[in-house]
Amino acid sequence: MTDTAVKPEPEAAPRQAPPPPRRRPRSRGAWATVRSVARVLTTLAILFFVLFPIVWMAITAFKPARDAFSTSLIFSPTLENFAAILGGASDLTSALVSSVVVGVATTVVAVPLALLAAYGFSRYRFPGHRAMLLAIVATQFIPGVAIALPFLTLFRSLGLIDTHLALVIVNLSIVVPYITWLLKGFVDGLPTEIEEAARIDGCGQVALLWRVITPLAAPGIFVAAVFSFLLAWNEFLFPTFLSRSDAETLPVALMTLVLPEGVAWGQMAAAGLLVMAPMLVMAFLVRRHFAEGMTMGAVK
Amino acid sequence: MVASTVPPPRRRSGWRRRAEPYMHLAPALLAIGLTTLYPLVSALITSFRHWRLNESQEPGEFVGVDQYSRVFTDDTFYNSAWVTFEFTAISVVLSVGIGLGIALILNNRTRLSAFTKALLILPFAVAPALKGFSWRFMLNPDTGVYDKMIDTALPFVGDINWLGDPFWALMVLALTEVWGWAPLIALMLLGGLGSISPEVREAAKLDGASPWQEFWRVTFPLLRPLLLIIVFLKAVFSMKIFDQVVTTTGGGPGRATESLNFYAYSQGFTFLDIGYASAVSWVIVVVLGALAALYLIAMARQEAT
Repeated sequence: MTDTAVKPEPEAAPRQAPPPPRRRPRSRGAWATVRSVARVLTTLAILFFVLFPIVWMAITAFKPARDAFSTSLIFSPTLENFAAILGGASDLTSALVSSVVVGVATTVVAVPLALLAAYGFSRYRFPGHRAMLLAIVATQFIPGVAIALPFLTLFRSLGLIDTHLALVIVNLSIVVPYITWLLKGFVDGLPTEIEEAARIDGCGQVALLWRVITPLAAPGIFVAAVFSFLLAWNEFLFPTFLSRSDAETLPVALMTLVLPEGVAWGQMAAAGLLVMAPMLVMAFLVRRHFAEGMTMGAVK
Repeated sequence: MVASTVPPPRRRSGWRRRAEPYMHLAPALLAIGLTTLYPLVSALITSFRHWRLNESQEPGEFVGVDQYSRVFTDDTFYNSAWVTFEFTAISVVLSVGIGLGIALILNNRTRLSAFTKALLILPFAVAPALKGFSWRFMLNPDTGVYDKMIDTALPFVGDINWLGDPFWALMVLALTEVWGWAPLIALMLLGGLGSISPEVREAAKLDGASPWQEFWRVTFPLLRPLLLIIVFLKAVFSMKIFDQVVTTTGGGPGRATESLNFYAYSQGFTFLDIGYASAVSWVIVVVLGALAALYLIAMARQEAT
């Protein structure tokens, strides 16, 4: 019905009618088809490149030990690898606990410090402003060994080796500068009017930060918390230096699956899934902020 | 009390107002200072002292620059410096090249591209140590799934023992890094491509530019500042490579994949020579520090424009 009603119109002004928006001109014909097929194929290749190692590890994790080395996709899925690493023969439960404890503690300590500093950098201009900001970026260039070695000897003499506290302290060296930058970007983007209004209403500085800034910056705080947990969770160099067994985190504990007779790949894959799955979810949630965080504000 | 009707922003005394910003920064700066400056200074001092943990729990006598001259006469150090350089060059070229390719392919509005873009971040979130194990597993010369694919698709390359061959072991190490970084770099570049106005590229097309010319004459020059930053960042992160060396190759075969960080680690950890390891780590600090200075200068310049 509508068809017949609309049709005459384009015929009334055939030449002048603008082409329908967002349609590629048809005239390219065969060449355009080749190009779009090539585009789809290369995109699928990208998907394969990005996803396959993750998918393959997930599949291997559910394979029975005798099939770990088989590349066949036909096997009877089992949870035996997970049973082995969670309370079984090669128990990684305590490493899992350490990872969670260190990750949470690092986040809980780092985020408030960083938010406060981010607010300071964002709202005030003061002598040393630029120099301090650049110094914070510069800390990211310090090689891990140069931080881990002195802490190794310090913590040995303090009896802090192989404790969660030691790892949390050292993690701050990476996490605080990183999320300070990240949060500064967020606070820069917050409107100042609300703060001014709150000030005029007699709101003190502490109340302002807690009642006004924190809720406004909540999305940024969430992103910063995710990043600090992710950095602490994936950290490998520091726990390699500073823990033995009690405070060993998951990425380091993977090494215990490298046995003299070879790597227990089924269990490695299961443990790998445990290490990677929460991070994949988190990264997906904050994916828009990765690029800006990585370049530390240099790229807008 | 009476003045509360129309409160002008409260005037604070001079020093309090001046101290206010620093009070916000103090906790974070204290945390950063204690966890970065303290170890740097401590390592610098230790680098001038004799200290082997198997001999003593306490640092020994000052030996001047002895340990630095040992660093610079040690072939193993030069080997790891060269390995680190090779690794950095390979992984920068591959990450940025592949990242740029991915960005150009996905720079459109189809649904498949949008779906792919959303997933690009995933490899970067995988712990580097785990990336090492994963690629080691997939490239196992007898049973690895990638090894089998390569054998089937490219039978002429022969049966390569990936981690047993010095060249390929370094390539595998680079691949673990490229897998995480190329998609991330693609994301950064897609941001950059998005900010190039379509009219500019349209204009080039109307002037009869081929896609090739359009890329090199229009898109590439506009992306160049962003590309420089990315190359730089990738280079610095590559120079710090450690995790995958441990989990993929353990530095081998021989010393073919021993990076600088790994070398410093093995001196301090395996040989318990804290003094010497500190000297090595300070050499790395100076090299990375010089690069950091270049980066910060470039950043400051960009800010100024």
